[in-house]
Amino acid sequence: MRPPIIFRYVGIVLLFNGFFLSVSAIISRWHHQPDFLPLLYSAAITVLFGIFPLIYVPPASHINNNEGLVIVVSSWLLSCVVGILPYILYGGEFTLVNAWFESVSGFTTTGSSILADVEALPSGLLFWRAATHWIGGIGIIVFVLAVIPAMGQASMLLSRSEISPLAMKNFQYRTRKTLKILLSVYLSLTFLETILLAVCGMGGFDALTHSFATIATGGFSTKNASVAYFDKPAIELVIIVFMILSGIHFGILYAAAVSGRIREMWRLSVVRFYIGSMIAGVILVALSIHGTIFETWTGALRHAAFQVVSLGTSTGFATTDTGIWPAFSILILTYFTLQCACSGSTSGGIKVERILIFWKSARTKIRKLKYPNAVIPLRMDNSVVPEETVSTSLLFIVLYLAVVFLSTLLLTGMGLDILSAFTGSAACMGNVGPGFGAVSSLANYSRLPDAGKIVLTVVMLLGRLEIFGLILLLSAGTRK
Amino acid sequence: MKLRMKIMSGFLILVIMLAIAGIFSIYELMSMSSSVQSLLDDNYKSIIAGKKMVEALERQDSGLLLWISGEREEGRKMMEKADAEFQSALSVAKNNLTLPNEADFVEDIESRYRTYGALQAVPLQNPSGNFDMAWYFSHGHPAFQAAKTSVDVLTALNDEAMYRTASNLKNRMRRITMPGIVAIVSALVFAFLFNYFIHRYFVNPIISITHEVQNYLKTGRPTGVEVETDDELKDLASAIQDLSHLVRKQ
Repeated sequence: MRPPIIFRYVGIVLLFNGFFLSVSAIISRWHHQPDFLPLLYSAAITVLFGIFPLIYVPPASHINNNEGLVIVVSSWLLSCVVGILPYILYGGEFTLVNAWFESVSGFTTTGSSILADVEALPSGLLFWRAATHWIGGIGIIVFVLAVIPAMGQASMLLSRSEISPLAMKNFQYRTRKTLKILLSVYLSLTFLETILLAVCGMGGFDALTHSFATIATGGFSTKNASVAYFDKPAIELVIIVFMILSGIHFGILYAAAVSGRIREMWRLSVVRFYIGSMIAGVILVALSIHGTIFETWTGALRHAAFQVVSLGTSTGFATTDTGIWPAFSILILTYFTLQCACSGSTSGGIKVERILIFWKSARTKIRKLKYPNAVIPLRMDNSVVPEETVSTSLLFIVLYLAVVFLSTLLLTGMGLDILSAFTGSAACMGNVGPGFGAVSSLANYSRLPDAGKIVLTVVMLLGRLEIFGLILLLSAGTRK
Repeated sequence: MKLRMKIMSGFLILVIMLAIAGIFSIYELMSMSSSVQSLLDDNYKSIIAGKKMVEALERQDSGLLLWISGEREEGRKMMEKADAEFQSALSVAKNNLTLPNEADFVEDIESRYRTYGALQAVPLQNPSGNFDMAWYFSHGHPAFQAAKTSVDVLTALNDEAMYRTASNLKNRMRRITMPGIVAIVSALVFAFLFNYFIHRYFVNPIISITHEVQNYLKTGRPTGVEVETDDELKDLASAIQDLSHLVRKQ
């Protein structure tokens, strides 16, 4: 392993973060707000640390697997570290642990917050919070690789380390083209949503920050009451549509947009399962909350649709307090908190593909019990899923649930009730944001003990790097 | 980039880090001192004025009670003195409008005090009239309470603002120390990184070149040194290699 090469690439990522910090500082200056100096100083420190390795370390076109992995994981961790700088320099509700929680929650697109009063934050910091979502949503490395040309073979290896193997399946292009597709879909969705939200009556700043949070499936809002603040069905509808789109594999979206054959998407079992499960979820939740929480069917369907899509895409926006919903609805929403959306999107969670593989695998096993000598391959959309993919997916689900269980155990050990501990852990692992109980949609994580917040940040990072990333990093030193 | 520039860049970055932290702290310190000044000048002055107005009002009320109970001369003198004190405190409050809507609150005090003053003047101008305790409780006391409440509202407004400024000061205090802490931690990490690069890209190549020369002197065979960077050290390694080839040829 060559540490200077790692410093160089991580330096580029830091420069990228420095750019967004500088934009936040400019916004703060524009509004004459007190977060200008904290943002400017953070930008300066980040840029200086980013630029230094570039002065010393000559570029390298070849990097090995270990180096690629360390670069990706270090980029995430260091981005989270520089992300805390403006928060701790600004003060207010941000202690060191709170700032770390907010930063990790932003970059991993979890959207859980420790802020009791979001609206008290100046606009520069609000923009930085939203920007951390946007940078983290597509993946820091993917962003950098797509923006900076001519990284040679290094870009291929880095993108392989950053993008989940499940997600790479639907890209039939070379690395550079794949990265360009990812970025173009990401930018187009953000631009379109910003325009539509502004047309629906949201202010320009709110429209941009909410678009950042929607497309990245993050969930940070600029309002204490989240999307409920606006109380406009048109705004909610736009956000629902873009949350659903952001949960679909970007390669599929690109192909559909380029060919103009949107219906083709419905042929894919992943999309059918993703949309179908959400429709079923909306109907079940609406049935449960109609008459108990909402008197009218319109109200029940409106809020059920928003909450199911919000949690089912790992976004985490809220239009109402789901903490007071019936247990049946809470269980349905918890299922979506675990499942989330498709791979190749900005969503977190177990992901639809793995859930589909799980069910198909279970069906195959049952059929095998009936016909022990039969060779029954697992198929998806007429193609056989390799055994390696099936076993890795099942192992992922087991590890995923094990992490959620362990985190729940630790949080209950710290005195948190079981509902808040389990749903909070599941929400952080899936990068969803709100759970239920003390951490429900209109509450926040500020009341958790510091140790609990640190546990949840580790869980968020494990969820974002899809567990294997961090495990491989820890074993990088011992691997040959 | 040449060696001199590379070394200088390291020190320059350190200087920039510390300088910005220093400027940040000085700026926050200066704005903190102005906040302290505004805390004392704006809010505290109005709070004191409010207290004086309440005291004056209470004395006027006592004067009125004295007048009603028969101590007319003493009561009149007390009311006149308290009125002057009230007017003086009110003028301080009027000239110290620093909060939004504060002018409206001061205007409300003025208006209620005018009503109270007019009511007090009635018995003083008609000493033969029937002004007893019943008149006091039906007219005098409610007007006094109304004027006092309006002063209390202004005092509460300034109290609240003072609390806010004090909380803000606490935050500013943190903003003065935090850049220093961040600068120290950053400088330590940076010094480690700088030291690592100096060793990797300056010291190690020099050691390698020295070994190469010593090896050549021992064996007479040049082996060549790989220098990663494109700077004077690469030129030196290349020059030594050329020299060794030349000596070998001769």
